[in-house]
Amino acid sequence: MDAILSILIFFPALAGFLGFIVDKNSAKVYGIAVATIELLLALWLWAKFDTTNGGMQFTEKVSLISDFGISYNVGVDGISLFIVIMAALITLLGIILLRPDTKNMKNMIVSLLFLEMTMVGVFLTLDAIVFYLFWELSLVPMLYIIGAWGGPTRVYAAVKFFLYTFVGSLIMLVGLLSMAYLYHDANGVWTFSLLDWYTLPLTETQQFWLFLAFFAGFAIKVPMFPFHTWLPHAHGQAPTIGSVILAAVLLKMGTYGFVRFSLPILPDASVTFTPFIMVLSLIMVIYTAMIAFAQKDMKQVIAYSSVSHMGVIMLGVFAMNAEGLGGSVFLMLSHGIVSGALFMLVGVIYERTGTKIMDEFGGLAAVMPIYATVFGIMLMASVGLPLTIGFVGEFLVLLGFYQVSPIGTILAATTIIIGSVYMLALFKKSFFGPVRHEKNLGLKDLDKRELSALIPLVLITIWLGVYPNPVLGPIDNSAQKILVDMENRAISPATKEAIILSKKEAN
Amino acid sequence: MDMNMESLVYIALFAPFVGSMFAGLLFGNAPRTHLTGIVASILIFVAFLASATLAYHVATVGPVHVKMMDWITIGDLSIPFGFLVDQISVTMMVVVTLVSTIVHIYATGYMDHDKSYNRFFSYLSAFVFAMMILVMSDNFAGLFIGWEGVGVCSWLLVGFWYHKKDRPFEENPSISPSWAANEAFIMNRVADLGMLVGIFLIYWNIGSLQYDVVFEAMPNLADGILVSIAIALFIGAMGKSAQFPLHTWLTDAMEGPTPVSALIHAATMVTAGVFLVIRSNPLYSLDAVSGVSMFIAILGTFVAFYAASMALIARDIKRIVALSTLSQLGYMFAAAGLGAYWIALFHLAAHAFFKALLFLGAGNVMHAMDDELDIFKMGGLKTAMKASYWYMGIASFALAGLPFMAGFYSKDAIIETAFNEGTFIIWGMLVITAGMTAFYSFRQVFFSFHGEKRYEPLGFHPHDMYKYVLIAMAPLAILAVSFGWLMGYYKEFIYGLNESVQYEMSDHTHHLAIYLAALVVVIAIGAIFLAWKKYGGEGDKAWKRDEAFEQSFIYKLLENQYYVPKFYDEFIVKPYTITSAKFWEIDKAMVDGSVDKIGRACLKIGDTTRGMQNGNLSSYLNWMGLGALILVLVAAFSTITTESIVECLRAVAGKGE
Repeated sequence: MDAILSILIFFPALAGFLGFIVDKNSAKVYGIAVATIELLLALWLWAKFDTTNGGMQFTEKVSLISDFGISYNVGVDGISLFIVIMAALITLLGIILLRPDTKNMKNMIVSLLFLEMTMVGVFLTLDAIVFYLFWELSLVPMLYIIGAWGGPTRVYAAVKFFLYTFVGSLIMLVGLLSMAYLYHDANGVWTFSLLDWYTLPLTETQQFWLFLAFFAGFAIKVPMFPFHTWLPHAHGQAPTIGSVILAAVLLKMGTYGFVRFSLPILPDASVTFTPFIMVLSLIMVIYTAMIAFAQKDMKQVIAYSSVSHMGVIMLGVFAMNAEGLGGSVFLMLSHGIVSGALFMLVGVIYERTGTKIMDEFGGLAAVMPIYATVFGIMLMASVGLPLTIGFVGEFLVLLGFYQVSPIGTILAATTIIIGSVYMLALFKKSFFGPVRHEKNLGLKDLDKRELSALIPLVLITIWLGVYPNPVLGPIDNSAQKILVDMENRAISPATKEAIILSKKEAN
Repeated sequence: MDMNMESLVYIALFAPFVGSMFAGLLFGNAPRTHLTGIVASILIFVAFLASATLAYHVATVGPVHVKMMDWITIGDLSIPFGFLVDQISVTMMVVVTLVSTIVHIYATGYMDHDKSYNRFFSYLSAFVFAMMILVMSDNFAGLFIGWEGVGVCSWLLVGFWYHKKDRPFEENPSISPSWAANEAFIMNRVADLGMLVGIFLIYWNIGSLQYDVVFEAMPNLADGILVSIAIALFIGAMGKSAQFPLHTWLTDAMEGPTPVSALIHAATMVTAGVFLVIRSNPLYSLDAVSGVSMFIAILGTFVAFYAASMALIARDIKRIVALSTLSQLGYMFAAAGLGAYWIALFHLAAHAFFKALLFLGAGNVMHAMDDELDIFKMGGLKTAMKASYWYMGIASFALAGLPFMAGFYSKDAIIETAFNEGTFIIWGMLVITAGMTAFYSFRQVFFSFHGEKRYEPLGFHPHDMYKYVLIAMAPLAILAVSFGWLMGYYKEFIYGLNESVQYEMSDHTHHLAIYLAALVVVIAIGAIFLAWKKYGGEGDKAWKRDEAFEQSFIYKLLENQYYVPKFYDEFIVKPYTITSAKFWEIDKAMVDGSVDKIGRACLKIGDTTRGMQNGNLSSYLNWMGLGALILVLVAAFSTITTESIVECLRAVAGKGE
């Protein structure tokens, strides 16, 4: 299967089109079947993946508009591989978790399959224009999911989500176009291929402005402070499935953008901007964690905690060493698994009680012990307990960033304290103490549908916490490759000094 | 190394884990069954047997070092699951598994009416597993796994009775089990931040986290880095071992079931910090960090005294024992800080035995008194609870350091060390604290077991624990009496490890040792006698409540734990809560508000200008005329020349010269 990547990208969309003619009662089964095949394909890709090679693999290239050097160009490395697998997994589990009585199930399944195409496409594309297409297309199904299945102010939230991220993307597009222009200026040919762009030397001033243009697109997506306020609205109104995919996968597009575009194309600017990124990230880590503590709505706690954790990921991206960069990619995965699971868990209790306000619960541990156990495990992963998936990435990011700024790291590492403050407060309010309302005494514990969505996430949480190396290895290779490329292309000595290459590589 | 020992290492490590999974996965939601308690107890005992065999192996052959598999490998970082069984870790392993075995058996009786019996054993065994990882790991990251693991298990166990609701601080200083559990976890995490920084410093300066590599490289590091590492690691130790100012969680953790208090908050988890300092003895014994070590000794001495002072007036039987734990941890740090690592470790072991016994005895009293904790409501229990009376008595004798009991050897050696080092203030404080220890220990014993039967009018009908539970406690009593006799052998055993763990008294001290010991013993006996006079009498001589004293400043100060919890509440918890709420307001009103303002401004501009496009041709003409006029005016008044436009375009195109 030479075209495995294209199949991965377009199979869900194709199946989505066919989904229109599927009987509406079997839509969910159809969705599960398609998503399962997609996941198996992604896993097959992993099986065939050369784990010793840090570069792009399974590349395909078809010229689309040759006059402008726009081509359909895909490839996978250790960084995108696992994000794609996670996207496929989360989509599958999200569909499994859908209530059978979801209204317009067919539309939901079709939207999700289209969304899956755009997500996989973003992470596999090596051409800037096609990347931009997938990037923007991903807004549409999510806009629809929030707008059609969301809460009372869903339209406001959906429009805000759309416009806000769209404005940022437009600025990013300007950056992409000028990049192609600069390449043409230097080499006389048009190209939007990332791999070509990686070879283009740029002055520090050019890098500076391009960095800001890319930043506008990526930072709003992450979302970085102060561009994060669309997220609580989106999560507040989105249905469970929307929040799960938004938090688990869509946000990672922003951090992935920094890794795939900003770092290798603009090595000097990346180093120059590190203090700026650090300050914003630290604000994300601390400020939003405190806001999470102030929430009364369980889902908002998780929403703000997402922003806080994304701040840690951002630090790792700019650590300029394999420990930090690889750790941040791993943290993208673990945050996807953990926040996905947490949003699912919030959905579970919301479906039963019709509320997400924590003060309405209390004592749930006695009424729903399995639910409490799963929640507890995910909580511990969220606060970065060793031997859960959450520890590995967080530890590596902080370890890596220590080389950049000890003070910044110490401030960022307060996440282990304030993160446990809001999570334990959430758990105490909802699960401990006496049961607040008598009607909650009759709540049912997790059923088979919910368990089959959550148990895989629990297993992954523990598996990758105990034995992360199968995933860390390929990530490590690709992270080191990015760093080596950056070091080779850096023009300022300060950049070369900031980038720490593994000693293994040197030997 | 032969395979046998390697498998013993894994048996010692994983037997508790199997027990935990057995109780948790198979019976987690099942009705309570003694099967879980029995299987878990047996598996812990198996771990004890393996540990004891390993101890013999370490003594006769040497340390065992195994690598199970790689854990995290990235960049230059490589962390394995590796386990090191040497003199230090095997001491901990034996102590942990022995005390745990007895506590497990005890809990089968103590918890037998609890509907969450199975869950309890799952947590309790998981805790032992985490503690074993902590002590056995051969690197700092592995230690950190256990470090956080015991934190979580302690959270689960302190909050075991999570259904209890919060009560105001004045009514119950530890609010509720779930509150105390969260407090313990969060406060430990504050210290863990220090621990993490220590790990980062070690990694970036040495390139490895393996103990052997790290300790070998340390003498070559710059002084400043060594001091930073020593401080950072000690901050971590302060959390787990509840040193001031991170100590408040320990007494509040008494909200957990009493077997938990005996195991976690006396014998094992709280010793993790002391263990870390002892483990890192090659670091702390370096000249470059002597300042840090001295600080450790001073802080330890302070905590010993500070905790003992609060125990003098405490009324809650478990709090008294918890405060004595805090105080004894101070002694251990004092010893470790002064360089007498093996003496600290020996006291750690001795303390684990008699403190577990003391806690289990306190548990018996609570059991008999329907969970009543107030010693003012007890008295004269010795007739109803003979065995528990003896156990508590023996444990208190050991704690007070009466001759030939365990504490006599271990604690006295610490006091002697302080004398030997010439740190006479520390020595003096530790001697005074020893007297206070004897006083409050026996105050509690006399209060509960002697004097008038104050419980009778209150309607209690005390009875002693199950016989098998009382028998199971016997090994602890035997060790509380006799463990000190092994001190000479233990010294020989641990001296095999390395040079920095060795500590000898000078000839001068040796000479005076008998007088020093006699002084401490006389003070202790005096204190016990005082306690007897005050609290042990019956009839006319019976203790009477002194209301005036209870209103005094000093009593209030001690009762309110020097107002430290109040301080935390006022100056940390409340400001944090208020700031968080403020931030949320700011986020909504300003950060998000400005986004909405931009949106609204766009709408408004559109709204005001849409009048221009009303489909009316004459209005269009008007607007066109206005536009043309503006253009003409701009052209007339502007200084723009063609050249400047061309230049401008060139610049935009990036082709200017």
